[in-house]
Amino acid sequence: MVKLNILLAGVGGQGIVTMGRMIAEAAINEGVKALIAETHGLSQRNGAVNVHVRMGDVYAPLIEKGSADYLVALEATEALRNLYYANPQRTIIVLNNYTLRPALSKAKEMNMSEILEKLSAFRVYVFNANDIAIKAGNPKASNAALIGFLWSIGAFKDLIEHEESFYKALRLESNIKAFKMALEEAKQLL
Amino acid sequence: MLTLTKLRYLLLGNEAIAFGALSSGVYVAAGYPGTPSSDIIETLMKYGKDRYVEWSTNEKVAFETALGAAMMGARAMATMKHVGVNVIADALMSSSYSGVEGALVIVSADDPSMWSSQSEQDNRYYGLMALIPVLEPYDPQSAYDLTIKAFELSDSIKHPVMLRTTTRISHSRGPVELLPPKEPVNGKLIKNPQKYVLVPENARRNRVEQLKRWERIQEEVEKLNAVEEGDDKVVILASGLAYAYVKEIIEDMNLNPTVVRISTPVPIPKKTILNVVSNANKVLIVEELEPVVEMQVKELLYDNNIHVELHGKDYVSRIGELTLERVRSAVGKLYDIPITEPQVISVNPSPRPPALCAGCPHRSSFIDLKRGLALASLSNTFFSGDIGCYTLGVLPPFNEQDSALEMGSSLGVINGVYRATGQIPVAIIGDSTFFHAGLPALANAVYHNLPAIILVLDNRSTAMTGQQPSPSKEIDIAKVAEGLGVEFVKTFDPFDMKNAIKIISEAANWVKQNKKPAVIIAKRACAIDVLETLKGKELPVAEVDENKCTGCSICYDYFTCPAIIPLNNKKAKIDPLQCIGCGACVSVCPYNAISIKGKPPEGWEEAWLS
Ligand SMILES: Cc1ncc(C[n+]2csc(CCOP(=O)(O)OP(=O)(O)O)c2C)c(N)n1
Repeated sequence: MVKLNILLAGVGGQGIVTMGRMIAEAAINEGVKALIAETHGLSQRNGAVNVHVRMGDVYAPLIEKGSADYLVALEATEALRNLYYANPQRTIIVLNNYTLRPALSKAKEMNMSEILEKLSAFRVYVFNANDIAIKAGNPKASNAALIGFLWSIGAFKDLIEHEESFYKALRLESNIKAFKMALEEAKQLL
Repeated sequence: MLTLTKLRYLLLGNEAIAFGALSSGVYVAAGYPGTPSSDIIETLMKYGKDRYVEWSTNEKVAFETALGAAMMGARAMATMKHVGVNVIADALMSSSYSGVEGALVIVSADDPSMWSSQSEQDNRYYGLMALIPVLEPYDPQSAYDLTIKAFELSDSIKHPVMLRTTTRISHSRGPVELLPPKEPVNGKLIKNPQKYVLVPENARRNRVEQLKRWERIQEEVEKLNAVEEGDDKVVILASGLAYAYVKEIIEDMNLNPTVVRISTPVPIPKKTILNVVSNANKVLIVEELEPVVEMQVKELLYDNNIHVELHGKDYVSRIGELTLERVRSAVGKLYDIPITEPQVISVNPSPRPPALCAGCPHRSSFIDLKRGLALASLSNTFFSGDIGCYTLGVLPPFNEQDSALEMGSSLGVINGVYRATGQIPVAIIGDSTFFHAGLPALANAVYHNLPAIILVLDNRSTAMTGQQPSPSKEIDIAKVAEGLGVEFVKTFDPFDMKNAIKIISEAANWVKQNKKPAVIIAKRACAIDVLETLKGKELPVAEVDENKCTGCSICYDYFTCPAIIPLNNKKAKIDPLQCIGCGACVSVCPYNAISIKGKPPEGWEEAWLS
């Protein structure tokens, strides 16, 4: 049985639902089963949002407690909110180097180093996906950049073999550009 | 590994239901928006151009539209979220007595764990009460397949059928194999008053017919459920989505029970179940929420004198949605296998509830309302809220929703609040909700001279559920209120704070003097709709003058626009990625430190105000 569990976390409006769909489409392009549980409705208005992406021999839409292989946060604090699905022995955490204050009266926010301290038990990568998106000419393409990063750390091995499978799924030229730039960036980081 | 052989589409469960309806020849489809059901009608509008598809003013009208079409022999469907079925309950009961000529499928999208709802009621109960069969899928592909089965069943028995989906099916995406759409089946004029006029004489005859149809339904459902044979001593009955969880857990734990995949929790397939449980030593029923299958199975076992160890809600809680870990724990108990839960680290960052968008007119309305009421010395009032984006007014700094129970509640509840206390209350209701369930209560307020301030937040849209159109675009709410006999009716722009405050306080004073209801309408479009209208155009942006800003925090702590961010020195900064240049913050700053940079694009005023 081959299974891959990726939990995507972030803030409504960041393009997480689209990110899940792009990953799943790449899987389907290779004939691999994929299921995604999306967050719709009111939370998409600046609220905390997560998307469960599951691939391979899977039936259930949700990731089991402590069973994520990857926890990817488009907004770094949101990784903390979703640690229920993570487990230091198994889960690799990928953080977009970005935090956003909740739009609440007198809200407190954590900075990046405080967040990293809370994650000290995990293997964590921090990646500047927003910078890449802006350089690629589409500030919304952070999701595509993060997919590129996941690809370069081998997140989809045994399931998705061809880089081209992502190109069709990414649809926009600027997304493909962000994906490719992320590969370059990752080479230097890793 | 599971590999996909044929061409498949990656579809949401809701999209799969819409395509299932198209493949079944649906001709008339109507719905009222509500998460997690809305994508069904939206998909039908996109792909069913040769069908009649509408957003109705509420669920009851949507259901009656579908019912009327099915009475004429058409294939029809009505869609709604679970609580929408409460709104159609009266008509639903009647439809089960009358039956139909064509096919009638009701889609109820339930919301276990209440991701976007006020309750997690289990609508399979409606099937038991109304004697309407309930079909329940477990993933997008089965949602597609069962939609087709639902139409076939309804057409063959001439009886309404409910398809019950849940958030995790409706909003899960997976591969779906589609058949081509079928020619729509429309109707012709059919008159049959003996069947459709439910006077007692007819209703009594229908009651007998209804139970005959129910007998046939009990036969038919045997074909819709599947047995996956394994060890015949241990049987797991899994209803709907529970099947997906059970399947994955038993594979993972290397167990081999007999599994019955239940697609018809109402009525259960009695023969199929009797067959497998009569050899079993242990039975586990896995179902989300209420013990609907469990109750029926227990009745079946009693009637057939079968004594077997049976578990259901004692192993799987009735609160909240299923998860793999909950099903693993239940299966572990069934087999006496100890389960060690993975250790997880828990950190609680500050909460991030949804927030009103940058440019949302409701934010300004809440500020205006507070100030207008203060001016009329009516700050101590009851804010009778309602359901929509504006329910977020419950959060600080607004605190302007003292109740919000169900759609339309704002207008009905103020009557009770006033009668019990003698205090003038304020009702706050959105435009879509006003047409959905507000009208009868407004008529009642006029009829009984209710001294209350009724604020309609007309953002020209049904925003909370994804910007579906609202009747307010076609029907002027002020004219409706006047037509119903409201004597004080005024409309204002919530961004024009001075005028808004003036009108709100005027209304409050008028109510105090006249002891009758006043209706005031805050009219300005939903910011998301405005952005959609102006897509691709360059927008203005707000700017803070650092020298004038004193760091008083009013804009980010008391106005709470997500585009205004505090700096370390407490001064405000605008996030250019989030700001849409609406200008609402300009009049909020007491030091005139905020201004708007850049020209509004062509069509700006119309987009906000028409
Ligand atoms: C009976 C019922 N049907 C549907 C819904 C889903 N729903 C919640 S709020 C809402 C309407 C919101 O529109 P409006 O009142 O115009 O407020 P807005 O969100 O635009 O501010 C709907 C359809 C519900 N909660 N209850």
